[in-house]
Amino acid sequence: MTGEADLVITEALEGASTAAVAVRVRDLTVTFPTPDGPLPAVAGVSLELAPGAITGLVGESGSGKSTLALTLLNAVPAPGHVAAGEVRVDGIGDVLALRRAELRRARGAKLGYVFQASQNSLNPLKPVGKQLLDLGRSHGVRDRRALLHRARQLMDKMGMDAARVLASYQHELSGGMRQRVGIVFALVLNAHVLILDEPTTALDMLSQAAVLDIIRKVHREHHLTTLIISHDVGVIGDLADRMAVMYAGRIVEEGPTASVLADPMHPYTRGLLTAMPRISGDIGAARPLPGRPPDLTSIPRQGCVFRPRCPLATDDCAAAEPPDTVLSNTGLRDRRFACYVTAGELS
Amino acid sequence: MIEARGITRTFAARRGMLGRGGVRALRGVDVAIPDRGAVSFIGESGCGKTTLGRILCGLEDFDGGDLVIDGQSMTTLKPKERAPHYRRIQLIHQDPYTALNPTRTISQILTDPLRLRAGQTGAGGTWVTGRRAQLLELVGLDPDYVLPRYPHMLSGGMRQRVVIARALTVDPVALVADEAVSMIDVSLRLGILQLLRDLRTQLRVSVLFITHDVATARYVGHGGELYVLYRGTVVERGPTDALIASPVHPYTQSLLSAIPVLRGIELPAPDRVVPTGPLDEHADVPGCLFEPRCPFTAPGCRDQPPPLVPLDGSPQGQAHAHACLYPARRSVVPAPTVPGNAPADPARGPQP
Repeated sequence: MTGEADLVITEALEGASTAAVAVRVRDLTVTFPTPDGPLPAVAGVSLELAPGAITGLVGESGSGKSTLALTLLNAVPAPGHVAAGEVRVDGIGDVLALRRAELRRARGAKLGYVFQASQNSLNPLKPVGKQLLDLGRSHGVRDRRALLHRARQLMDKMGMDAARVLASYQHELSGGMRQRVGIVFALVLNAHVLILDEPTTALDMLSQAAVLDIIRKVHREHHLTTLIISHDVGVIGDLADRMAVMYAGRIVEEGPTASVLADPMHPYTRGLLTAMPRISGDIGAARPLPGRPPDLTSIPRQGCVFRPRCPLATDDCAAAEPPDTVLSNTGLRDRRFACYVTAGELS
Repeated sequence: MIEARGITRTFAARRGMLGRGGVRALRGVDVAIPDRGAVSFIGESGCGKTTLGRILCGLEDFDGGDLVIDGQSMTTLKPKERAPHYRRIQLIHQDPYTALNPTRTISQILTDPLRLRAGQTGAGGTWVTGRRAQLLELVGLDPDYVLPRYPHMLSGGMRQRVVIARALTVDPVALVADEAVSMIDVSLRLGILQLLRDLRTQLRVSVLFITHDVATARYVGHGGELYVLYRGTVVERGPTDALIASPVHPYTQSLLSAIPVLRGIELPAPDRVVPTGPLDEHADVPGCLFEPRCPFTAPGCRDQPPPLVPLDGSPQGQAHAHACLYPARRSVVPAPTVPGNAPADPARGPQP
């Protein structure tokens, strides 16, 4: 990885070149060892998070979305391994080059992470307040009173009874409340980048709506850059300014949410939307997506990864992986997708 | 025809740290599930929908009321005599990962109940193998591929199909599907929902669909009835499409308001109903159970529980009923940006 000297130089350059990007992932590949050799869970992914925006990452299980998000913390679980690429976070630099102590400071202080199933990630044996102080201690916070004060402020803002929640054990809190505590923990050290992995999974509709409202509110009031990961197009479609669709370790389509949903260009995005029962409109128009999502070992090694399930696949699709088609001067501003066939539709 | 008449169920709480009493999971629920009908139950966690589903399958006792299966009252039967009736109502539960024995192949999983069935009807071994393949094909699986495999070798969607095939081995009259797709990959969900919908016409089974996701209830329950449960009572019911299009109970409206709105292809509804607080399953409420969370509380709401009454002037007549003293239409459903807009077609080109 990059040495100390390089880090300083690139950081100096960064101000000029990445002024409008809070997080930049470039050509990232993360591999996991398998009996067939190392295989990529994330394969050559590039993604930029605009400062102040909510970016949504949508994908099914095994699409690599959680692995990608963990890379932003340089926390890919072993035996996973970042084989190539870089992750730059505004104010930190190349996350993958940080030493252990620096990384520890960056997590929490700059990057807040709300883990998947964070409803169940609290310590069942300690009240929330005690866990908050543990968090402060492990990050070297001296002023415990200020930490508690900030936690109370956040909880007030989220409509929680701070005194009661801090004194509660996890089993005394509902799923929605635990998820809110997870968000408080992620933000209490003043992180400016918030990453939420499946924040509403396992919540019912009303709790989900309440948590989404809270994410919107803290995002706005704390001027955050937010990445929200979900399998649910509804959650992303409601919350995110931009969205990226992930399939088999690749981002197959990305752009402003409204534009992607109104005019999906990748056959997978189209298929996902068609397979979604909606609350209004013609329910009879919903169609299942054929096939099944691949796991690490069944991802095609050559050609387009969506080909086995694609209604549009041609012989070209088997030859090589489709490059990104970038739309910048059409009505569909600022978008990209990776499909030979639908790229042909445009010309 | 399956009829639940005034079913009640209270779970006694251990005298907990908070010193609270039991939870009244069901407070007198009436449901009629016609043959080949589809009835959906929606409500948030803790509204009693899962308990109701389990009672209908005989997996849970009820304290009061009666369950009548094809004219036979369950309360008049001894527990042993009830079993063959309950067997005709099969449960498909949420988690296909724990519903199948991991040490047995799909072939074994399906053969045992079919042998029992053959014993009852006097059919032979060839009937068993034939029926096994037939059921797997019915649920959209390739018998040659699936039969020799163990559950862990199949995807969540395939496992749920196996669970459905197993439920069908006993020739049920009804399937109770409790959050049957919530643990399945999004791209595979609609396939399972479509299967449940098709079984109604192909096998003449009725489907009782339990979910917190109104959109999936709309899909499976198409042409059927929708019940909205809140703290163990039915607060609103009606024909699925009509009820979703024009709900009058504030609780139903809050459930519909909670559905995410897809930017670019849907417009947010003009009205949004948000409960004023979280659900307290233990709260002792003398009047309308939703009153403590209702944004439209008015005089009289706290006095006594409002009964379920037909909606005045409803085009559906008696079918659309509600339990609110002040029913009001509010526009809470997001509209497609283009009226009647179908979701994107995979084979379609970009729109100009």
